[in-house]
Amino acid sequence: MELSRRDFLKASAAAAAFAAAGAPLMLTGEVDAAEAGIKWGKAPCRFCGTGCGVLVGVKDNKIVATKGDPAAPVNRGLNCIKGYFLSKILYGKDRLTKPLIRKGNKMVEASWDEAMTLIAGKFKESIDKYGPDSVAIYGSGQWTVFEGYAASKLFKGGIGTNNIEPNARLCMASAVTGFMTTFASDEPMGCYDDLDLGDTYFLWGANMAECHPVLFSRLIDNRLKNPKVKIIDFGTRHTRTSQMADKYIKFNPQTDLALLNAIAHVIVKEKLYDETFIKNHVVFKKGKTNIGYGLEDKFKFTDDPKPMTFDEYKEFLKEYTPEYVAKLSGVPAATIVEMAHLYADKSRKVNSLWTMGFNQHTRGTWVNNLAYNVHLLTGKICKPGENPMSLTGQPSACGTAREVGTFTHRLPADMVVTNPDHRAKAEKIWGIPAGKVPAKPTYNATEMFRALDRGDIKVVWTQVTNPFQSLPNLNRYRKGARKGDGRFVIVSDMYPTKSTEVADVILPSASWVEKEGVFGNAERRTQQWFKQVDPPGEARNDLWQTIELAKRLGHGNLFPYKYVEKEIWEEYRKFNEGEGKDLAPYEAYTKARGLRWPVINGKETLYRYAEGYDPYVKAGEGIKFYKNKKDGGKAVIWARPYEPAPEVPDKAYPFWLCTGRVLEHWHTGTMTGRVPELKRAYPAAVCEMNPEDAKKLGIKHLQKVKISSRRGTIILPVDLNGRGKAEKGNVFVAFFDENKLINELCIDAYCPISGEPDYKKCAVKVEKA
Amino acid sequence: MPQTGVTRRRFLKDGVLMPLALALAGGSISALFLRSADARGFYLRPPGAVEEGRFLGACIKCGKCAQACPYNSIRMAGADAGIGIGTPHIIARQEPCRLCPDIPCAKVCPSGALDAKLENVEKIRMGTAVIVDRENCLSLRGLRCEVCYRQCPLIDKAITIEARHNPRTGVHSIMEPVVHRDKCVGCGICENACVRDKPVIVVMKSPPLQKDYYEF
Amino acid sequence: MNFKWWPIRRFVQLSAVVLIASPLMGLNIFRGNLAGGELFGFSLIDPLAFLQATVASRIFVAPFLGAALVVAAFYFLLGGRTFCAWVCPVGLITELNDRLRRSLATGERRLPLSASRWSLVVVIVVSFLAGVPLFEIISPIGMTTRALMFRDWLTLLMLVSICAVEVAIARRVWCRSLCPLGGFYSLLGRFSPLRIHFSEQLCTHCGECTRICPHEEVLLPSLDHDCSHIYSGDCTRCCDCIDICPTKALSVHVIYK
Repeated sequence: MELSRRDFLKASAAAAAFAAAGAPLMLTGEVDAAEAGIKWGKAPCRFCGTGCGVLVGVKDNKIVATKGDPAAPVNRGLNCIKGYFLSKILYGKDRLTKPLIRKGNKMVEASWDEAMTLIAGKFKESIDKYGPDSVAIYGSGQWTVFEGYAASKLFKGGIGTNNIEPNARLCMASAVTGFMTTFASDEPMGCYDDLDLGDTYFLWGANMAECHPVLFSRLIDNRLKNPKVKIIDFGTRHTRTSQMADKYIKFNPQTDLALLNAIAHVIVKEKLYDETFIKNHVVFKKGKTNIGYGLEDKFKFTDDPKPMTFDEYKEFLKEYTPEYVAKLSGVPAATIVEMAHLYADKSRKVNSLWTMGFNQHTRGTWVNNLAYNVHLLTGKICKPGENPMSLTGQPSACGTAREVGTFTHRLPADMVVTNPDHRAKAEKIWGIPAGKVPAKPTYNATEMFRALDRGDIKVVWTQVTNPFQSLPNLNRYRKGARKGDGRFVIVSDMYPTKSTEVADVILPSASWVEKEGVFGNAERRTQQWFKQVDPPGEARNDLWQTIELAKRLGHGNLFPYKYVEKEIWEEYRKFNEGEGKDLAPYEAYTKARGLRWPVINGKETLYRYAEGYDPYVKAGEGIKFYKNKKDGGKAVIWARPYEPAPEVPDKAYPFWLCTGRVLEHWHTGTMTGRVPELKRAYPAAVCEMNPEDAKKLGIKHLQKVKISSRRGTIILPVDLNGRGKAEKGNVFVAFFDENKLINELCIDAYCPISGEPDYKKCAVKVEKA
Repeated sequence: MPQTGVTRRRFLKDGVLMPLALALAGGSISALFLRSADARGFYLRPPGAVEEGRFLGACIKCGKCAQACPYNSIRMAGADAGIGIGTPHIIARQEPCRLCPDIPCAKVCPSGALDAKLENVEKIRMGTAVIVDRENCLSLRGLRCEVCYRQCPLIDKAITIEARHNPRTGVHSIMEPVVHRDKCVGCGICENACVRDKPVIVVMKSPPLQKDYYEF
Repeated sequence: MNFKWWPIRRFVQLSAVVLIASPLMGLNIFRGNLAGGELFGFSLIDPLAFLQATVASRIFVAPFLGAALVVAAFYFLLGGRTFCAWVCPVGLITELNDRLRRSLATGERRLPLSASRWSLVVVIVVSFLAGVPLFEIISPIGMTTRALMFRDWLTLLMLVSICAVEVAIARRVWCRSLCPLGGFYSLLGRFSPLRIHFSEQLCTHCGECTRICPHEEVLLPSLDHDCSHIYSGDCTRCCDCIDICPTKALSVHVIYK
């Protein structure tokens, strides 16, 4: 019955072995990246319009590290966490490395030659059969300047179609038309220094804390240093920006139009305006009203500007009393008056900042105009620390889409295809026969994809963007792309996306520092970078792809370049010379941490239209909006009325749906979603809802709800207490989640002047799922 | 009758099988229970857990709380927990507690190890989050992170942001996430969301509450 | 038709396992395990688990006691250690493992049945003194059921080592002599109305029943002294003796006294 000693010893030894086996394996400490052997090069961040500078560390043809560039004036070495993880965005596991051609339901690998032959063939076929307007290219505010320029030159100057649109149509078009109608020139007059120098900041429908993180940090520091600084957040949703603002003013969606007019009303009524400034620098105009919403296919609108007198403008403002607008907007009349006083306060340096709340708006152009109106009435403009600043979303919506003019109606340097002189200049610089550039704009982005759906456009090539996740009323356009019958969709991207899903050909593209590039950020700062690593597999940069198509279509002569990037730059510069948008020679940008245009004799311009800063303003002129030659160098105050949104909440669909971004993810999440840390930080979209609304519907926090609009439906967990707190009657969903395509619910109504769709307002219902 | 030789069966039985069996048994017990004290550190218990000593007494390891969790956040401790083997705990870095408003885990606990009467998620005290590595916290270095803050289910209560001047750049602010002991429930969402390789904010055992008479 | 108990018993044993695993199949019938569970929403608590947890933590929860009393009453009426032969998965595994031992003809040593009641005392005293539910910590029943519920297989080592010891050294030593839960139920079983009845007239003294019974000591009073019933609390009512008896000398009885 007893154990012998031998047995006991044997058992003990075995027991000890077992215990050791069960102990966790001790891992050696992580190997630090060897500092030695890393080569550092500068580049702007791949993400938002702030344009932070980073240093990219390369070893063995791979990015091993990135860090904020301490020498970059924009950010001085700081980044947000998207920028922090730049080293990872190129290395997702499913990076596209080979061209893929659709065969039935499968995408089959092909060679570049096969793919480009097929693509060129489709282009030729379509152009021959249906004309040049049957093909199109959809580019991006994340295109490099070279990519945008080459596309524009090929399509407008080679193929002879104005079917080129950027995704910037969906984000900044209203800002552009706002600038063009008010100042006759695109892009802000101020710069980021205004964030350090001003003392009053009105944020309108902009979640700067999450969407321009490093700029917001700068704004907050200004307030920390200067107790006079006030930050007012006008919004329809309580965000992290609202939390840190001095005052959060919630207003009913769309009533920003009325609020700005009410503020102008008070300023005019109480004679708080700068009479001299108005006399010297302002003209008044009015345009059409009841201008529609772009809901019908082929919607067209042409404004009919008519001059007004100041008195007529005052008459126009009469109806926008604080009391009337208080009823409309939900903002107390006293607050409206208080804000008007704040705007007009002569002791304050006032700035207005806005992004998508103003731009993605069915009256986006109007509301941009109205923001400028207040600054023009009070003369608070073109002064250091005192400017209206339209903040740009994408890294090069300014530099590429807007400055190169990759829109259906545009040419570089603010020029338009409808102007014969502008066309002639383009034809001259491009060395093409007169009359080659078509005179009529064709489609804005939404109309372009409607045309694809109808079959009026057969061939669409998208580069560096993801329209089949980002378009509003998404279902129509996804279905439209796959209707067959001659339709052919080419998608150039770095990863599989919701757009590659509907493509006939997928081309693997180089990204960011896998190619040489130039971006232009929100403060007119043009920043250059060199190629620092090779793209993976057979991926090639979009510039090469476009030129390759050009060659195969017989337009290779448009691209006779050896050092393509530099030569394109020098050619492109010619458009801008003397136009108040001057760009420096290429070398200047290779050396500098960017330069703010106009750059004259190597000197950048901090404040446009201002004497002493802008070399185009002559001595003694003070302020001159010299680009608006038609109105004698004056800016325009537009009488723009309040008009309601096309789809408002009703009994069937009682909530406003707003969409937007979060700090952790960029746009449709194709890059940030592949950074494990960012994905972990914010893995999936949620529906922000007001707790009282939820309670009425018996919905609890984290419960799954079904949200439906007239166009689509989606199931999401509800968030009643998150970083964004929805106001009553509103819900908010971010659009980064490729498994939750919220844009299916959005309405494809757009501003008739800018063509930019309204992603912030449509009507939905919410039910328990 | 005594054996003259050792039969193979005898050898098998006494010489090999028995020691082997004993070894297996002894080894199992060692592997399962004899762990260094280090391993039995702070365990993040499910919501409503009573004080750890009493929790270890009351928990009958039935697993109902883990089954009730819709996110599979609650897991049953393995051998590394020593006498806590089989007790429920949460590894925040892998799957934090999401603070379901109806607290289904506590509701199903039969023995009082989790307070089944708990109704308000804000009264939960599983632990307290602490930034343990300030040098690696991106927010403290001036970058725009604060993911822990933005993802905190008790945002602006359990974690707030205190902004201060960034002297290095001179024109930016450092937005420091500050955890408030009296409001933090210890759910671990912050620890889970932290974007560093190793989280710089972790849920630790709550320090005892204390008060004095100052009015500020 | 020759009625046999063992298919029914096997079915019940397997049902218990399936019930415990049922949440994995998305079913809402059962939650928890044999220490504490919920069948169709009704709380069922192992009475020994209740005792340990309450004396260890000094936390009293009335519904906890109520559910434990329900289970205790249930097993009291059905024989006490009926749990061991009809429900417990460790019982099932060690029972099957015993066939291996039989074929190897090893593990002949035995420990006395009474040891399980000392085990019970130790468990309760230590739980009280140390403030931890001792048996719930080491219980192979708990480990096996949790391994099944959460697919965490390391703790099955315990069950494997019990099987190894039972094959190599001492047969059914866990269930017979070490398991405190068995010890607890044996106290209920001593007074349970459900018993095995022995008919001295039909008995041919073939000894098959003692060979098959894991706790053959419970049969000896009847075989040696013509006792009409199996009075021992250690009888698990497995009915293997009933199945194997060639002359149907054994049967199940309910006593109303």
